[in-house]
Amino acid sequence: MTNFLNTKTRREFLTVSGSALAVSLSGAMPQVLLQAANAKAATEPENILVVVQLSGGNDGLNTIVPFEHDVYRANRSKLAIGKTDVLKIDDQLGFHPAMRGMADLLEAGSLSVIQGVGYPNPNRSHFESMDIWHTCQRKDQVRDAGWLGKYLDNATQSDVPAIHFGFEKQPFALAGRRVRVPSIDSLESFQLNNIDDEQTVKKLASTKRTENNNLLDFVQTSAESALRASDRIKSVKKAGPLSTTFPNTRLGEKLKKVAQLIAANLPTRVYYVELNGFDTHAKQDASHEGLLRQLCGAVKAFTDEMQAMGAGDRVMLMAFSEFGRRVKENASGGTDHGTAGPVFLAGSKVKPGLIGKLPDLNKLQNGDLVHHTDFRQVYASVLEKWLKNDSSEILGKQFQAVDAIKT
Amino acid sequence: MSQELAAISPEWAWQPYEPSAEQPWNVRRAAHVFRRAGFAANWDTLQAAVKRDPHELIKEVIAERETAEFQQDMSDLASTVLAGGDPRSLSHWWLYRLQHTTSPLVEKMTLFWHGHFATSAAKVTNANIMYRQNRLFRSHALGDFRKMTQAIARDPAMLIYLDSDSNRKSHPNENFARELMELFCLGEGNYTEQDIRQLARCFTGWEVRNDKFRFNRFQHDKDDKSIFGESGKFTGENGVDLVVSHPAAPRFLVTKLARYFLLDEPALPATLIEPLAKELRDNEMVVGPTVARMLSSNLFHSSWSLGRKIRSPVELAVGLLRGLDGTTNAEVLANDLENLDQRLFFPPNVKGWDGGRTWINSATLLGRANFVRRLLDNDKTRFAKGKLPAIFEKHGIEGGEDRVNWLLDVLIAVEVPNSVRTRLIQLYRKSAGNDEVACRNIVHTLSTLPEFQLS
Repeated sequence: MTNFLNTKTRREFLTVSGSALAVSLSGAMPQVLLQAANAKAATEPENILVVVQLSGGNDGLNTIVPFEHDVYRANRSKLAIGKTDVLKIDDQLGFHPAMRGMADLLEAGSLSVIQGVGYPNPNRSHFESMDIWHTCQRKDQVRDAGWLGKYLDNATQSDVPAIHFGFEKQPFALAGRRVRVPSIDSLESFQLNNIDDEQTVKKLASTKRTENNNLLDFVQTSAESALRASDRIKSVKKAGPLSTTFPNTRLGEKLKKVAQLIAANLPTRVYYVELNGFDTHAKQDASHEGLLRQLCGAVKAFTDEMQAMGAGDRVMLMAFSEFGRRVKENASGGTDHGTAGPVFLAGSKVKPGLIGKLPDLNKLQNGDLVHHTDFRQVYASVLEKWLKNDSSEILGKQFQAVDAIKT
Repeated sequence: MSQELAAISPEWAWQPYEPSAEQPWNVRRAAHVFRRAGFAANWDTLQAAVKRDPHELIKEVIAERETAEFQQDMSDLASTVLAGGDPRSLSHWWLYRLQHTTSPLVEKMTLFWHGHFATSAAKVTNANIMYRQNRLFRSHALGDFRKMTQAIARDPAMLIYLDSDSNRKSHPNENFARELMELFCLGEGNYTEQDIRQLARCFTGWEVRNDKFRFNRFQHDKDDKSIFGESGKFTGENGVDLVVSHPAAPRFLVTKLARYFLLDEPALPATLIEPLAKELRDNEMVVGPTVARMLSSNLFHSSWSLGRKIRSPVELAVGLLRGLDGTTNAEVLANDLENLDQRLFFPPNVKGWDGGRTWINSATLLGRANFVRRLLDNDKTRFAKGKLPAIFEKHGIEGGEDRVNWLLDVLIAVEVPNSVRTRLIQLYRKSAGNDEVACRNIVHTLSTLPEFQLS
């Protein structure tokens, strides 16, 4: 196996990838992967962004809880979380008690909580608001690509520039004009089974079509990219064991797979996963608690694993939701669609702590929080400071980046 | 492309299709009718269809109903499934019905409404009330949209799904009111947040008790509400009426039906939507005539529509089976389709399946081909009551070239490049020593083609 790497490069490769990969190197290592790793090690490793989308509208007020605030307590007679239950951040705010994982990350200096993130004229439709977060465009503007898709169009030549993990439809955020991002359910199933003649299939898929049919062209380029990505993923499926135990939850499983691919040094810059179920219109307390526990357990394990494999400095995770929820609870023990909420950044390069203030509970608009940080300011920070890319073209104009990432 | 679409004259678009040298009535167009108005047709049906007048045929497709005997069989089968109590079994049941129904358009519309008033058994969990909702969609399939919306507003599955099963006047729950306007009737941008909050008050006191709708007058807000500028002591029923009567409703529905029957993209311009929206309003929101007009139109039979939709997993699977006289185990089928992002009775969210391009990504493209392989290799799968070669024997089709061409006619909605056709024939000949292996390999390889994903 050392045929593929000279000693110096191999040492660099191991340094970059850390202990997790060293284990897998002792087994049979596929040639394609080693070549990829070899090419990679020759240049400075690039930063990786992992996006966790909290779908349905996360109740920010019961996530970062203003446990002392009268307005909060008055509006949440059933759902308010008390002083003795929260995991205190300061004398006003605390994490929901199920958020031990994030509380520990904050303690360790690896978590940044950006409060009050939203946008002007908030839209309370899930689909519309999510599209706004994904494309940075309102409904009456052209929406032909997502913010990450535009970034990928600019920045990468890789055959697997980004990966969406999950069975849900692909997030609009990843749609590029040029780049097609693969969605992967499981590493194992991401290949053609029992195919008679794979070379022929590849040739048939890559034959250019002349039907003047946009849909056909879209499917054709998607098929081409699927076969390429499949080849690439096949070569890393056997990536070695990780040193961290991930929680046995859906999000835990997804972030574990992301960790395995990062360990295998795939040239992928963006990973995207989704955690669904935040649309808590009824009986919110149990379901929200479960979701936050799942979120924080998985994010903690992932961040720990990145540290353990020596990738902590080049992997950052961002978690967001399309909106927060109404301050006043409803009669079903739940909350209806609201506006601003917190965004989380995790990793050893974030500026730890609370950033921005909780929106003023005494100055609600139609019973909703008023945002003070535009989500595009968060994107500007991610694009400029983390992905080293110009942000103004992607976001439509220059937004003042939130100061949440160390340079 | 959308600009060109905007240039089309509405008169031409919606006039009945006239076969011509440029737009001949042939196997391809007949197959198009059966794919879009149902779930594809077999060779015998296509051969008979091209000999008929297209409008006679389309009338027949619209008028077709299942026999009383078949309907009885389906309800007996449903009773058996419901006795087990697992809502997942309902998707096996429906897939079985889709494979065997003699009224595909009614089923296609039932599927449309299932995606439109999307309700998932994942949350509702009760198989009986999910089945009742399915029967409601079927009974209104080509009928009165107002009546259906009134019925769905009291449908226990919907009320549970949108958390409206206990809606109290002190804190109205906005979920159903919002989706009624945004997703079911009007579309975003045709109402205000204030309208939502007022409409939500109309539905207070609407409850589900013992799996049935109940009006709890003690929890109903009897005061004045103001919706779309009108004020009154509106009830929930008044609320639904106000929304369905809004001028945006017929436009919204026609746009969605056009996307379902005609083309995924681009959205039809207002010039093309308006005449049909007016007609739908004139027909007091009975959708049958609008669907009939769409299916018999010039636009439907033009290149704007042929091959301009991406097949859903259900269309792909049922179409493959119906096209090749196939049958298979419906349970395995349902489970496999779930991996391709579509499990009947379990839509992903209240917006239903988005369809179009969102069906396609790397995982689903590989998954579609893997699904076809599993279907072909499954011992329970039969074609023309035998193994795959039986379908060719039935029609006396021999040799690689004829078989490949025949498969392309039956299974693929658009022309494939000649170089692709040639390679497929070569591939068939490579394993022609074993008839069954060659047939399976060629159908499997066809399923990897981009063209196979289009309808």
